This record gives sequence, structure tokens and C-alpha cells, in this order.
Amino acid sequence: MWTVSTYVLKKKLTGAKRYPLVLMLEPLFRCNLACAGCGKVQYPPHILKKQLTPEECFRAIDECGAPMVSLPGGEPLLHPQIVEIVNGLIARKKYIYLCTNALELKRRLPEFTPSKYLTFSVHLDGEREHHDYSVCREGGWDIAVEGIKEAVKRGFRVTTNATFFDGTDPNSVRSFFDQVMGMGVEGIVLSPGYSYEKAPDQNRFLGRARVRRLFRAILSNRKPSWKFNMSPLFLEFLMGDRNYDCIPWGMPAYNIFGWQRPCYLLQEGYADSYKELLESTKWEDYGVPSGNPKCANCMVSCGYEAPAVIDGFTTLKGFFAMVRGNFSRYQDDHALKLLNEPMPHGPASLVQIEKPSSELEETRA
Amino acid sequence: MTAEVLKYTREQVESLELAPGTERGNLEGWVPELASEDELRDVLEKALDYRGDVTLTLKSGEKIEAFIFNRHTGATLADSWVMYFTPTAADRRKVSYADIARLEFSGKDRAAGKHWEDWVKAYNERKAAGEKNIALVPEKLD
Repeated sequence: MWTVSTYVLKKKLTGAKRYPLVLMLEPLFRCNLACAGCGKVQYPPHILKKQLTPEECFRAIDECGAPMVSLPGGEPLLHPQIVEIVNGLIARKKYIYLCTNALELKRRLPEFTPSKYLTFSVHLDGEREHHDYSVCREGGWDIAVEGIKEAVKRGFRVTTNATFFDGTDPNSVRSFFDQVMGMGVEGIVLSPGYSYEKAPDQNRFLGRARVRRLFRAILSNRKPSWKFNMSPLFLEFLMGDRNYDCIPWGMPAYNIFGWQRPCYLLQEGYADSYKELLESTKWEDYGVPSGNPKCANCMVSCGYEAPAVIDGFTTLKGFFAMVRGNFSRYQDDHALKLLNEPMPHGPASLVQIEKPSSELEETRA
Repeated sequence: MTAEVLKYTREQVESLELAPGTERGNLEGWVPELASEDELRDVLEKALDYRGDVTLTLKSGEKIEAFIFNRHTGATLADSWVMYFTPTAADRRKVSYADIARLEFSGKDRAAGKHWEDWVKAYNERKAAGEKNIALVPEKLD
């Protein structure tokens, strides 16, 4: 937190207009899962065989200077030089979130050294049955959990990350939080699914109103044991308590094609450098104010967590809200009532509550 | 609302219950007419969005199998280019719009033909047949 806060304050003091907080560094697109909700890995074999070299990874982080690096993909543990990449990033004192489905985690753990800079962020989409169904692999949960437990035992920092689509049962998600915290993980990361154009399943992407209701139900009345590895202000954004506009340059993505324009989710070309990305992207064409339909359902962290973090570290109001958020349990009787209502059936089986009387009002008690 | 609307208001965005998915055209195997400059530009936009290889035939007669991932659109065709990988070379390459005579969506569309409902149906059938460790597996790379 100290590293990020001083970084953000320095940027503010130097008058920087656009700067990265997290580099989304995709070393490859190859994956050992075939999830129906994923739009990231649908490429011809010769593209899936390509991967960034460690030197290309280091050039990208050295150029953009972000204090944190997320290693998604594809499955990073399939990269034969992933240990070299991680060690090089640690040597640069970058905080790394290695996002993995953990199918290979237990086998590869002995190659890594525990460090305060390295966190394994294990993809778990809910309780066993939900996760296995979501990643289209029976037994996926058990392998991932075995990897998590082994990593925790060996002294690694571990978080889980979950993506939720339409039909998510908030009660099940809350039970899932109990389960993962019981495994000794540091915290939980969660996100609504983004409507990737290339995802096989195009029918279960949550719209904003439904995202807010779902996350209101999930994240209110928190148990003291739950820890979230995300900005409290971003979680309040998901719950509908505050609004931010997307800043896609806050979490830029770099992969075998270059610097992805405009963000990790949309694919509208590439720049050769982060500088070129910043200077030549028409940022006004993206985000909710632009009216761009491709941005309409997005509430994903790569666009909206950076403004929450910047708000928390550069404004007094944001700072106090962040501190309060770290300790609040978000008591909400109405959200509790939602949890006790029977779940409707079908693909859109989310809790239904009364019709909203005004914008964002539907999530409030 | 559908995914075809050009712009959403903030009010529309905030009230969305479900996000409209993307309707995919079937481009695989298509050989478009490239009679005009506008048609060429439009087809190359589609090729940029296509998750399969295309075959470019240049005015020189050379044929290139390419996965197109980037483009620059300038005022003229000569100022515009696409960037691509080929299956046989490691480096990224560029070709000017002005040099392209023909384009075929020749490679398999890797984003087509896989639906959630197919997975659910297959899962239920395999489960009913007593199968264990049911999974979708990534396609072989070789």
C-alpha cells in the first residue's frame, strides 16, 4: 500500500495526467483450460505457440514504470521461462500477481521462491460445482485448491480471483468466501464478467444494474474473516455506492502483439510503445461518457479500480472513505433480505427486487 | 436495446440488466469483392477482428497466409497498412493496403461454434452416461 500511495502522490505532485498503476503483462495466450466465458485465447495454433521473451517483458515494465504487474494470459505457468520473468520483476521491486488456474501450480511451486513481491492469484469462480462448471472441467477446483494449500504451506502469498456471470447465486458466493479464507489465502479478488466479443458464451454477461444488485447482495453484511485484495472504493463502485469513469491507461496491457489499444478487454489495434499508446489512442472514444456500446456493461477492475485507487490516495474524502471501507462490514438489512429470498431458476437466475425508482437506487436499502 | 445501437446514454448504460452479446457473421471461407477502396478498407477491418488466418494475394502475385492483428488507416491506401504474423516466421510484418489484390478468410475461425449451451448439453449427456472427469479441452496446437 505504501509503494502504491507514494507512487500515486508523486504522479499527482509532478502533474502527470496519465500513468499506469498495474501493467497487465500477458506472456502468452496458450491455456490448459477451454472456459466458455473466456474471450482471450481463441487464436490459431501459431499464435498460441508464441510467447514473450523475458527481455520483452522487462522492456515493457521498464518503459511504463508501473509499480505492480499482473501476469494473466493464457496460463502463465505454461510459459517455460516464467520463473525467469518473475525473478526479473522481483529484482525490479515490482509487486506481481501471477494469475493462474493452478492446474500446474503444485508441480511448479518448487521453482519459485517466496517473496513479499510475489502473489499467486488463483482463479476460482466459486464453490466446487460452480467453478468446475464455469471452467468447463470437472475436478478443476480440487486441483486448484491443492495448489493453493501447498503454496500457503510453502510461505507464498496467495489470493483467489473470481469472475461472476448472470445466474450467480450470492449465497453460494458468500459460502465460497468462507471456504477460501479458511484455506489461508490473504484475500479475495472478484469481478463481473466482461462481454468479450470472442467469448463462446454470449448470453450470460451481466448489465450494470444487475451487477450492482448482485454485488450489493454479496458484499453487504460482511463477515470479519473476509479480506478483499482490492480497493474498498472499487468494491463500493461494484455495489452501486459510488461512480467512477473508466481510465483504461491505468492498467495497460502488453502482449505478443504490442501495447493493446485501448485496454485489456477491447482489441482495436496495438501500439509499439506505452508512450505511443498514450499519445495516439483516442481515449475520448471509450468509457461510459463516450456512449461506446462496447464499454456499456464494463465494470471490470482494469478500467475502474485505478480511478478508485487514485481517489483513495489523492483526495481527503477518498482517503477517509477508503479507511472506513477497510473496517466497515457494510451492514444492510435490505441486502440481507435479498439473500433470504428464493433464487429464481433459469439462466438469468438472480435475485429480483423491486423496480428502481431512480438511477442506482435499486441497490440501496 | 441491442448491440447494434451506435451509442448508449449514461442512463441506458446504468439500467442495463443483461449486456447484449455479439452476433457473429460467418466469415470463414469468404472471398470478398475488393472492387473499391471502401470495400478494401471495410474488409481489412473485418480481417482485423477475425480470429483465424486469412490469405492475402498481393498485386505482385505473392500469397501470404497471415494472422492480422493491427492496422493503420491513413488518407490513402499507400499510407495504410496491416500488421500480421505468419505461421512460418517469428517476426511481425507489414503490408500496405495498396499492395493487396485479394483476401480470403481461409483459416478456421477459432471464436466460432462453441456455445455455453453446447457445453451444458454435452456435460449432462456425459454425466448421465456415467462419465467421470468431464471437461472441455483446448484444441491441439500441432
